[in-house]
Amino acid sequence: MDAVIIIFITGLIGLFVGMLKKSELTLAVTSIGLIGGFISMFLINDYESIFSTYAGLTFSRTQQMFALLAIGLTLLAVLMGYVYYKEEDEHTADYYGLILFSLTGALCLIGFSNMFMFFLGLEILSIPIYVLVGIQKGNSLASEASVKYFFTGSFATAIMLFGIALIYGSTGSFDLNEIRMAIDMGMSHSPMLNIGVLMMMAAFMFKVGAVPFHFWGPDVYQGSSNAVMAYMASVVKLAALFAFVHLFNFTFNQLTPFVSGLVLFAIIVSLFLGYISALKQTSFRRMMAYSSIANTGFALFAVLNQQFGEASLWIFMIGYACSTVALVTINMIVEKDTDELTNWKGIGYSNPLIGITLVISLLSMSGIPPFTGFFGKYLLLSSAFANYLPFVVLAIIASLIGAYLYLRLMVISLSREGEGQKIKMTAIQALVLVLCLAGVLGGWLVLLIK
Amino acid sequence: MELIILPLILGIIAFFLPTNWVRPFGLLASLSVLAVSIVHLMNFDPANYVLILNPAEVFPLGLTFKMGYDGLALVMVLLTNAVISIILLANWNREISSNARFTGLVLLMQCALLGLFTSLDGILFYTFWELTLIPIFLILYWFGKQDNNRALFKFFLYTLLGSLMMLLSFIGLAYFSPNFSYFQLVQANFDGKAVEAAMIMGGILFAFAVKIPLFPFHTWQAPTYTNAPMAGTMLLSALMLKMALYGMIKWMIPIGFEGLVYLKWPVITLGGIGIVYGAIIAMKQKDLKTLFAYASISHLGLIAAGIMLFTVSAIEASMVQIINHSIVAVALFLCAGIIEDRLNTRNIDDLGGIAKVAPHFGFWFAVMTFISVSVPFTAGFIGEFVLIKELFTAHWVIGITAASTLVFGAVYMLRAYQGSMFGPTKVTVFKDLTWNEYAVFGILTLAAVGFGLYPQIIIDFIKPSIKFTQELMAGDLTFTKK
Repeated sequence: MDAVIIIFITGLIGLFVGMLKKSELTLAVTSIGLIGGFISMFLINDYESIFSTYAGLTFSRTQQMFALLAIGLTLLAVLMGYVYYKEEDEHTADYYGLILFSLTGALCLIGFSNMFMFFLGLEILSIPIYVLVGIQKGNSLASEASVKYFFTGSFATAIMLFGIALIYGSTGSFDLNEIRMAIDMGMSHSPMLNIGVLMMMAAFMFKVGAVPFHFWGPDVYQGSSNAVMAYMASVVKLAALFAFVHLFNFTFNQLTPFVSGLVLFAIIVSLFLGYISALKQTSFRRMMAYSSIANTGFALFAVLNQQFGEASLWIFMIGYACSTVALVTINMIVEKDTDELTNWKGIGYSNPLIGITLVISLLSMSGIPPFTGFFGKYLLLSSAFANYLPFVVLAIIASLIGAYLYLRLMVISLSREGEGQKIKMTAIQALVLVLCLAGVLGGWLVLLIK
Repeated sequence: MELIILPLILGIIAFFLPTNWVRPFGLLASLSVLAVSIVHLMNFDPANYVLILNPAEVFPLGLTFKMGYDGLALVMVLLTNAVISIILLANWNREISSNARFTGLVLLMQCALLGLFTSLDGILFYTFWELTLIPIFLILYWFGKQDNNRALFKFFLYTLLGSLMMLLSFIGLAYFSPNFSYFQLVQANFDGKAVEAAMIMGGILFAFAVKIPLFPFHTWQAPTYTNAPMAGTMLLSALMLKMALYGMIKWMIPIGFEGLVYLKWPVITLGGIGIVYGAIIAMKQKDLKTLFAYASISHLGLIAAGIMLFTVSAIEASMVQIINHSIVAVALFLCAGIIEDRLNTRNIDDLGGIAKVAPHFGFWFAVMTFISVSVPFTAGFIGEFVLIKELFTAHWVIGITAASTLVFGAVYMLRAYQGSMFGPTKVTVFKDLTWNEYAVFGILTLAAVGFGLYPQIIIDFIKPSIKFTQELMAGDLTFTKK
């Protein structure tokens, strides 16, 4: 609770500090706020809060882990944004303020325990993102992306709201526990409930960007700036996926037989469509967008795993998000006028830090041990192994296509033709790369502690 | 533990060294790792397992992080260290060996291989299995022929497909074993579910079959070898393929013998086809490296078929043959490398009469040819002879097929030798051997003849491990019969 408030207030302060157009100062304030939020979230059970607890927003151990991850990833996005907004200082305040507001929403979406808080979190998460996507006002692609994202996103939200209303109608409660009890008591075949759950699922599929609700992804990723793209691919996805998994594993767990077919369909189609479309892309952002669709497919296996779904998702997301942020940072470094993949030629060969980060991120995304991405996929697939073996085999085949995709990028960037090429990289970017590298290399060690 | 950490640290150091230090550093580093492993050998008693990493608790996911070696693993560790030193020595006079990245990658590769041979945990084994792929991929990509992406992708994705199947199998194995410790896995209780066991073993076997490569899964091999730099080919054929054979002996047979009963004859048949197929293709090849690549399919088909007989003497002979093949692979690819280095071609049609210009090379190439056709008093003779005998005992058809390797082997090897060394003189300038090449040929000949005269030295080391395997197999069999 304190963490949410700290981050929200930091966002407000950031808005005012940003008006001074002193990039360093804004970054410092924002970072301090985020670190403060991180610490208060870390110690959430160890001290007495001055605010009274609100039953709609509670953080269990798993939720705390997700919240910590979200705050950490936001810090990376903020650091990335600093490099960009140092030069273009027109919207500095907007960027830092909005990203913190959005994080507030993400934390609500992670800590929710009733539908009201859930919807509030979802909206607070989404609305700043609609603005952030279009923050480069001069860029027509950005405006297009923003408008597109806003309209389709609002539509999805409306469907979500309708779904919540139907669920409320059939179970008589907003509280997750009470809904669960109502379903346990024999509501599981009520058509109204089923339709409500389906509607929620469709809206969730939109928010996480799974096929068949993925069309906004590539355009929105292409229009947004690097930092916003990194934020969307990591924090937004993390929060939405967690809410998805939490609702369907905890509240609607009686309905698993009913939804599992649809989820499996979405998984397989996302995996294949995502990876195969990504193969054809020449633009880095579009490629990452499709790759994120495919990775969402993997992550959705968590929905089918009642027991370890959330823990597996955490490990998977730390691997995926750190790799993605690292790659986007590298794109930021090499990007010239366009984000064509040809810009990447030889960068890994000429700069060792970029080379190592890039190779390890890509290998982690391809699922090669001992990097975090492997353990995430391993956990997700091994729990699905007993019940959904054919789908696990299909997922493995898809991940081979993915490996080809990432290998191709690796080969381009490690080409020897890049020898002697000069690459300008600021210290902050190097810091982001090192942090991401640490996440990809060591994220799975959390498994050993628990 | 220093056995695995040492090459890792040395490899990382190598990346940051100035160019003129790299070459001596690489050789000294690999020799020091070899020395460490010899110290391990001195203190080793074949009857026992030596655990070099043995955490008491079991971590989530069934991870145990156990590492250690028995005689079998120690032989492979020594082989790895010796071969890496020889490869670096063989490349001494080439530009590649003064490249910091190359030396660093070779040492990292050594680290991954040693980790693989000493891991006693399923997931650890899989991890190192995949990790070996990264340094070799970079070596092939950076130092191989330019524009070889197609062959490279094929190699990487094919082996990755194999590994993923192995991963699936390990996930499946988790249902039959409390954790991934080797000692638990070998006691995996399939509860008489032989079909499940066969499927699980099939996945693991697929990974090994791609790596060996067995007959229908070999298509990645020839293009990869021809595009690779000499050192890369040596690493691939002398060490990486042995990972799969070692995996069969150490992991596959003890874990899933119930299931392997179904896979025994298919694999032996594929091995038999590979023996003949590889040899026939090799006879038609003009490129020396491609020829040796197919020859390798033929040799390894024999070893794989021998391992799948599950008898003690066949497995022992396979181990001798594994070591012999490493010697032969390094030797032959060094010969091809020397010819390519001096003449920029490997095509037999363009060669001829080299023995006249470079008599020393002619002599040593002949010695290597004889080692590879396994004349008596070389290690290959012992290995092949026992394997063929064992295969013949199992079934006469496979025995005769396997025996054809002796004839075919002589045909393609002698043809390659004659075509390049004798015949019409097409080559007039050929720099004879340098000191390091003499040294490599000398060491390899000594090793081949040494193991040929006294193979018992290897067998003594691996005997207890194979006995252990045999006991497990007997246990599995009685269980299945019950």
